[in-house]
Amino acid sequence: MVTVADTELDGRCPTGDIASRWEQRKRDLKLVAPHNKRKSTIIVVGTGLAGGSAAASLAEMGYNVLSFCIQDSPRRAHSIAAQGGINAAKNYPNDGDSVWRLFYDTVKGGEWRARESNVYRLAQVSTSIIDQCAAQGVPFAREYGGSLANRSFGGAQVSRTFYCAGQTGQQLLLGAYQAMMRQVDAGRIKTFVRREMLDLVVINGVARGIVTRDLVTGKFETFAGDAVVLCTGGYGNAYYLSTNAKTCNVTANWRCYKRGAYFANPCYTQIHPTCIPVSGDHQSKLTLMSESLRNDGRVWVPKTKDDTRSPDQIPEIERDYYLERRYPSYGNLAPRDVSSRAAKERCDEGYGVGPSKKSVYLDFSEAIKRDGEDVVREKYGNLFHMYERITAENPYKVPMRIYPAIHYTMGGLWVDYHLQSSVPGLYVLGEANFSDHGANRLGASALMQGLADGYFVLPYTIGDHLATSKLPKVTTDAPEFGEALTAAKSRVQAILNVNGTQSAEHFHRALGHIMWDNVGMARNEKGLMKAIQEIRELREDFWKNVKVLGTGESFNQNLEHAGRVADFLEFSELLAYDALYRDESCGGHFREEHQTAEGECDRNDDKFCHVAAWEYQGVGNDSVLHKEQLNFEYCHLGTRSYK
Amino acid sequence: MNHSTSKTLNLTLKIWRQAGPDQSGALKTYTLTNISTDMSFLEMLDVLNEQLIANGEEPVAFDHDCREGICGTCGVMINGQAHGPESATTTCQLHMRKFNDGDTILIEPWRAKAFPVVRDLVVDRSAFDRIIQSGGYVSVNTGGAPDANAIPVPGHMQKDAMAAAACIGCGACVASCKNASAMLFVSAKVTHMANLPQGQAERSKRVLSMVATMDAEQFGNCSNTAECEAACPAGIKLSNIAQMNREYMKALLFSCE
Amino acid sequence: METGSARPKAGLIDWIGLRWFFLLLSSSIGQKFVMGVTGLLLCGFLVAHLAGNLLLFAGAKWFNDYAHKLHEQWEFLIIAETGLFILFLAHIYLAFSTSFGNAKAREEQYAVKQTKISGRVIGANTWMFASGAVVLGFVLLHLADLRLGADGINLRGFKYTDDAFGNTLMVLKNPISRAVYVIGSIVLGIHLSHGFASAFQSLGLNHPKYMPLIKIVGKVFAVVIAVGFASIALFAPEIWRGYVPVSH
Repeated sequence: MVTVADTELDGRCPTGDIASRWEQRKRDLKLVAPHNKRKSTIIVVGTGLAGGSAAASLAEMGYNVLSFCIQDSPRRAHSIAAQGGINAAKNYPNDGDSVWRLFYDTVKGGEWRARESNVYRLAQVSTSIIDQCAAQGVPFAREYGGSLANRSFGGAQVSRTFYCAGQTGQQLLLGAYQAMMRQVDAGRIKTFVRREMLDLVVINGVARGIVTRDLVTGKFETFAGDAVVLCTGGYGNAYYLSTNAKTCNVTANWRCYKRGAYFANPCYTQIHPTCIPVSGDHQSKLTLMSESLRNDGRVWVPKTKDDTRSPDQIPEIERDYYLERRYPSYGNLAPRDVSSRAAKERCDEGYGVGPSKKSVYLDFSEAIKRDGEDVVREKYGNLFHMYERITAENPYKVPMRIYPAIHYTMGGLWVDYHLQSSVPGLYVLGEANFSDHGANRLGASALMQGLADGYFVLPYTIGDHLATSKLPKVTTDAPEFGEALTAAKSRVQAILNVNGTQSAEHFHRALGHIMWDNVGMARNEKGLMKAIQEIRELREDFWKNVKVLGTGESFNQNLEHAGRVADFLEFSELLAYDALYRDESCGGHFREEHQTAEGECDRNDDKFCHVAAWEYQGVGNDSVLHKEQLNFEYCHLGTRSYK
Repeated sequence: MNHSTSKTLNLTLKIWRQAGPDQSGALKTYTLTNISTDMSFLEMLDVLNEQLIANGEEPVAFDHDCREGICGTCGVMINGQAHGPESATTTCQLHMRKFNDGDTILIEPWRAKAFPVVRDLVVDRSAFDRIIQSGGYVSVNTGGAPDANAIPVPGHMQKDAMAAAACIGCGACVASCKNASAMLFVSAKVTHMANLPQGQAERSKRVLSMVATMDAEQFGNCSNTAECEAACPAGIKLSNIAQMNREYMKALLFSCE
Repeated sequence: METGSARPKAGLIDWIGLRWFFLLLSSSIGQKFVMGVTGLLLCGFLVAHLAGNLLLFAGAKWFNDYAHKLHEQWEFLIIAETGLFILFLAHIYLAFSTSFGNAKAREEQYAVKQTKISGRVIGANTWMFASGAVVLGFVLLHLADLRLGADGINLRGFKYTDDAFGNTLMVLKNPISRAVYVIGSIVLGIHLSHGFASAFQSLGLNHPKYMPLIKIVGKVFAVVIAVGFASIALFAPEIWRGYVPVSH
């Protein structure tokens, strides 16, 4: 039985006309004078799009910024891997886009599980992001005459996506990184690379610092500041196999959760439909093929079960273009969650192809026939090359095989309209928070959100906290730092002390199996209960049998990994628990008990039109639920149909 | 036949092991059996590490992150070639089908004075950050930007800038150069910015400052051997270095910087 | 990370306004630029020198007329030879200083190193310092043979006269000298085969339209210079076997 808190969570959203809410709030926010900014220190953890842009902007404003990243350089955060593009309501193509339409598409795409105020603000600032990035020298694609080019992406009916070849995330991240490095040179940012945040320090209920471990020397360090900004990404690696980078983890978020930050909607996970399928037990990660491929590729499976013929031997009449069949108006461009479930449905029914029968064809033969191989090469050459490198199959000759994979997590630490978590002074940005995508994220919206948070939201809202909370000066000598430091150290030591027989990798893979099988694309009560039980058992086994060699006082990648797996083993239980609690289907969260006759999501707005934010009560104890009711005054609750 | 046939390999690995920056290192030999040709090179190292842990030996440290060829974290010398034998490919995207049964594979870290070894195959590439820090940006504060379409960028200029900006900062250029020169890396950023209208204001200052930092970091000079271009997984062209040379001399002799 | 890295403090050099000159000779790109400029100017000298020396095939009168006319213009010669000396000196100094810096940039060597350029065997580019050193040795020998010395005796002990044609043949008749001159010419060609196009790259004189042409011209130039000089050493003494030197 879920324990529900008495009071409802307040997201501090402005009221009134939605178009003027952000303006009005900006008017009301208190400012910090320049000489006081110089005296304030802000800790920014993570250097992806959210962290990089926040660190750069805060430093430009005059704050002292301490920037931490787990990689060997701020330029390597996983935002760099985003391929497709970034949305903005510029309406350059004159095709009827507007702030309103981007807002509407995002709320609908997220299946009415995001805050209207947040999403509207996101759509409003989206245009400034493009201006800012272009000014930084981000080489966005251009028309021959020099104006910006747009493409349609991820199920949008307008062309609002800006892109840099197939490397949009890379270019935007390098823009933010370079802005950061400029501030490093100016002495306003101090960077700390190869550092892992292991705890949050809370003093008198306010976030005032962090504990980190230097991954090269193994040294534990503490840092004090006036606010902590967490930009540490999503938790997709709870599934072991995902499109996330290997170091993506939930540790920083989880430690903040344990210090009182609520975790919201962890069950909202996004499965991306166009990934290269798993090829064997050795696989360490899954590779995404940009969604843009679906603009020209046609998805199909054979019409007969267990068809072992090679694709060129299957005549047109015996092919089932199931997306075009089920969703005639969107066809192969149906949103990610819809396409992913449709692929799973076909494979579960026995129509899948490939050695494992767990993939579907993405066929370019028609596009090649229509436009010629050169045109297809021009558009997708780098993706085809990557596919061939990984699979040794030539996609110009045989259809690609694809299968869905865990890609993005919409859930995250709960934040209010100011991006402040339930711990005052702790701000959470980007994928690490739960805010703007509801139950499903649309393509090209993650880059938009990360940069909106860092460039255009946090710089305003953090000042209000600093100006109004009259923070006393603290140093790392405060007893709270000592306590957090000891806790972090003893946890690392505890892992080293187990001295068992199985590697951390073994436990991570085992967790991934549990999660993918029971908390994956389709979930049901029985499976979720089973998963919770199995996760608990695996966690116990981990603390008895994990084997980590070497010491804590050196560069020890295995030890780092074990620590992250330990946190995933705690967090995954909450993810499954939240999925069990949310007894409805919406977006990336599909409960088999709640589907329409056609197999689509069946939402329950009466019972679940709220954010589920969980409060920590100790490992193994059920978390307390805080509800934040979601009201839709502008974008009325409706059915998400792509037929 | 539409599916690749997977085979297995037995391999001998010779890997550089070095406990820390100040310790001396040596090549150590390991054997691996039944490695699937569908594995990536790093997955093969994962298998080795699992085997080492089972045997009570500390696993081999190597840098890696995205494993899809874009973050620039991975990179080792494989049989004396940066990122291994395949062109335009990072170590993480190299697959074992490029090797034969019975092969001996020699794996060493990037070697350069400016890239000290941290442990085993991991090196410290922070010199690259310091080079960018000294000028690899446009000085524009958040908030003050004009409409993105206010300054047109002709398509061909954008394409040139994009081609240079594609650098992933992995360091293969330095590793493969007989002089451990960072010219390809630095020139990619210099030309990316020099080819865009947004980069004009700081054009001279940027190249002078970035080259000065590059020299101070003790990278070697360029001998125009083009080994960097051949090793680059991101397809950065040697012509960027020529453009940087031109930019530098113009700035040195004719600008006010 | 440090702030404000690699920004030099203002000093005397800025006061006298020579920072640019200092950087020209000390920065990596400045050095390559000077290397390239001096290299190309020396290429110009090679063209003039080869053109003059090819007169050896035309006969004693042609060659001696040319030599006498050249030597009559002593003002020009002093300037030209001083210029050449400075070019050589700068080129050689930079060869040493960059090679020394380059060696320092990688202290621990790879156990194995292979090229990733398909089709490359041993590139001329990897041997620039070595080929340059051989050319330097050859040039010094050549000067000792035909330029330096006093009182009618060159530095290698040969007696020489006003008959430049005869002097040259006398040197080339010696089989060891002849072999050295042929080898020197070929190594010079190897040096040029990379150096010529490379200089354009170092000077930033590259262009997608013209680069292929520059590379071809570079190779052709190297072959012409090498074959030109080597052919003189090989064939001139044979053609003029019966020549009787003019003695005083």
